[in-house]
Amino acid sequence: MTDFDAVIIGSGAGGGAVAWRLAMAGKRVLVLEKGPWFSEADYFKDELACCRRSVYTPDLRDEQHVIEEAAGKGWSATPTRESGWDFWNGNVVGGSSNFMSGFFHRLKPVDFRLRSEFGAIPGANVVDWPISYADLEPYYTEVESVVGVSGRVLPHPFLEPRSTPDFPYPPTAEHPVAAWIDAACDKLGCRALPLPRAVLSRPKGRRRYCEYSGYCGNYGCASGAKGGARAALLDEAVATGRCEVRPHSQVFRLVSDAKGRVKAVEYFDRDGKKQRVSGKVYVVACQAIETSRLLLASTGPRHPSGLGNRHGQVGRNLIFSAGGVSHGRLVFDELGPQRGAEARVVGPFVNRTLHDWYVIDDPELGRVKGGVLDFLMGHPNVVSRALAERRDEDGNLVWGSAFKRRLEAALRGERRIDCEAFADWLPTDNGFVALSGKVKDKWGRAVARVRLAPHPHDLKVGRYLAERGANVLRELGAKDVAVGVSDSPPPNLVAGGCRFGRDPKASVLDPDCRMHGVDNLFVADASFMPTGGSVPYTWTIYANALRVGDRILAQL
Amino acid sequence: MDEWRHALLSRRTFLLASAGGLAALFAPAVTLAQTANPWPILAAVQEHLFPAEPGSPGARDIRALAYLQGVLGDPHGDREEQRFILKGVDWLEDLSRQRHKASFLDLDPIRREQVLREVANSRPGENWLSTLLLYVCEALLTDPVYGGNPDGIGWAWLRHQPGFPRPNHPARRA
Repeated sequence: MTDFDAVIIGSGAGGGAVAWRLAMAGKRVLVLEKGPWFSEADYFKDELACCRRSVYTPDLRDEQHVIEEAAGKGWSATPTRESGWDFWNGNVVGGSSNFMSGFFHRLKPVDFRLRSEFGAIPGANVVDWPISYADLEPYYTEVESVVGVSGRVLPHPFLEPRSTPDFPYPPTAEHPVAAWIDAACDKLGCRALPLPRAVLSRPKGRRRYCEYSGYCGNYGCASGAKGGARAALLDEAVATGRCEVRPHSQVFRLVSDAKGRVKAVEYFDRDGKKQRVSGKVYVVACQAIETSRLLLASTGPRHPSGLGNRHGQVGRNLIFSAGGVSHGRLVFDELGPQRGAEARVVGPFVNRTLHDWYVIDDPELGRVKGGVLDFLMGHPNVVSRALAERRDEDGNLVWGSAFKRRLEAALRGERRIDCEAFADWLPTDNGFVALSGKVKDKWGRAVARVRLAPHPHDLKVGRYLAERGANVLRELGAKDVAVGVSDSPPPNLVAGGCRFGRDPKASVLDPDCRMHGVDNLFVADASFMPTGGSVPYTWTIYANALRVGDRILAQL
Repeated sequence: MDEWRHALLSRRTFLLASAGGLAALFAPAVTLAQTANPWPILAAVQEHLFPAEPGSPGARDIRALAYLQGVLGDPHGDREEQRFILKGVDWLEDLSRQRHKASFLDLDPIRREQVLREVANSRPGENWLSTLLLYVCEALLTDPVYGGNPDGIGWAWLRHQPGFPRPNHPARRA
């Protein structure tokens, strides 16, 4: 007996978009979400809640990860409970899309065929996608109107083909510093572009437009303007009466039958009791690391080493975003009254991105995939800014009057301006998710063990981009500009682990994101991505999940 | 990001080491007497770390002690850190009595500074002070709903513009 047409595990951008598609088409859908269900009324601009306590993510004492990094000739394994390096990204209804800044990026045609375009890179598992940009373009466009993306199209050499002339929502209000960036780029001969943002500049249905409080990324949205999966999709899906969302439901196993098909989902409810539910089709969308973990833990008669893992592909080729953050100081007094006042403005978005180096053709690097730059004012979180002043330039603790003078100088007199560089994080054999042999979560289940293996090529490309960002910062008048490059993965920009492809031996999912050999299981988060493009992924996750929803509808 | 990560990693390492009862911490000591009332001492340390001045609030003005008491009494809080903070008071008292034959409370500002500088010379001691400064900063700049920063006194001093809507209750994982 099946209770639902589809049981969807995870309510973020992937799960939310599939749920919306199916419910709007008349199907009965259940969404299981491990976290609580918040609405606009529950979200405040509360730095302690967003960023200093585990309010929207599990307590690391209850649920954690084990992170492996290269150490000498071997690998060190550190539980995140010990390190404090948190890999959770928002476990609530709507997932981490609640806490994004809404910086949206369409992949470009070249991202679908990196291997053909640029050839193999030793030590990296770069492959072409089994679909092309043309297959995804209608869905990117649909997301613009369904989720609500604001922006403005300007012609430039790397502009991706579009089926509509422009965005359905005009750009959000923009920070005065955006004009400084435009002028600096003009001088430097590059082109600053308006950045697409999943934040409403005009009302949409019951969602209000942005209130411009200046606290967006990391914070839940109180106006409904941010296009997170809950506000933009699940509310509407639930309103059809055909989509049920069950919060506090931690799925721990997909049960498969003798033929290898999924027949049920088992989860722990809020009281820790085991529950079981079934559907015609199952969709996994728990964000890349947890999706691979769930599949690996879901052994069955035909899946002895994990669901869909006959060829050992589940969890492999985990990717993040490479790059870094260049930054400089805008010192108000030194900028003069006019520009000083402009630099102080809090609220609107800077909304500028550079695509000039989407493909790099450089004497040293050769012709390689590059990435994007985006500009933003330093994060407004004032506690974390204050904490940075606890130590002087030599790393010594500062207190008393000296500490207070440092606070005054850093917080009253200046702001940081950042330029983020996003490049592809190359997939390698040593970037993967497995199950920890020792560490368990509070339900006694093995946690995910994540091995990180940044490829040296990523640092080269990241540096190339970050240096160009730093040039713009210097040109617009920032002081003490530093080029920031890192091979540390940003835990919020994670993808891969369940590649889609045509060859069942080298991929987990088929081109429709259906599991090879398991015709009633789909994966709808960023796990399917063989390569990452120049992230953020959210727009691509939404677009692909709507596409997957269409494939599911065709099958139901 | 890397610096931040390493800071986190080392902080946790020190915290665990300290809470685990390594023999030599701020200063070599045998068995430490438990300080009967740690609050006046913590308040004095906070005020030394974050003194009131004309035109800028001090630890008392931002209710740093009440804020810290909230942190230490939080049933969802980090037990190891809670113990570490209180244990540090015993260590401080021990060091103060070794050096000056007096409680930290009875020292003049110059001697308090000397003792705290010596505390900061050991890594766990530095970690203890850094942790106290952390909660001073939270008391200074988190929303008043959490008990510090009365009427936004910290925000006003640093001309910080908070976001809106502001919380109407302390957040907790549901």
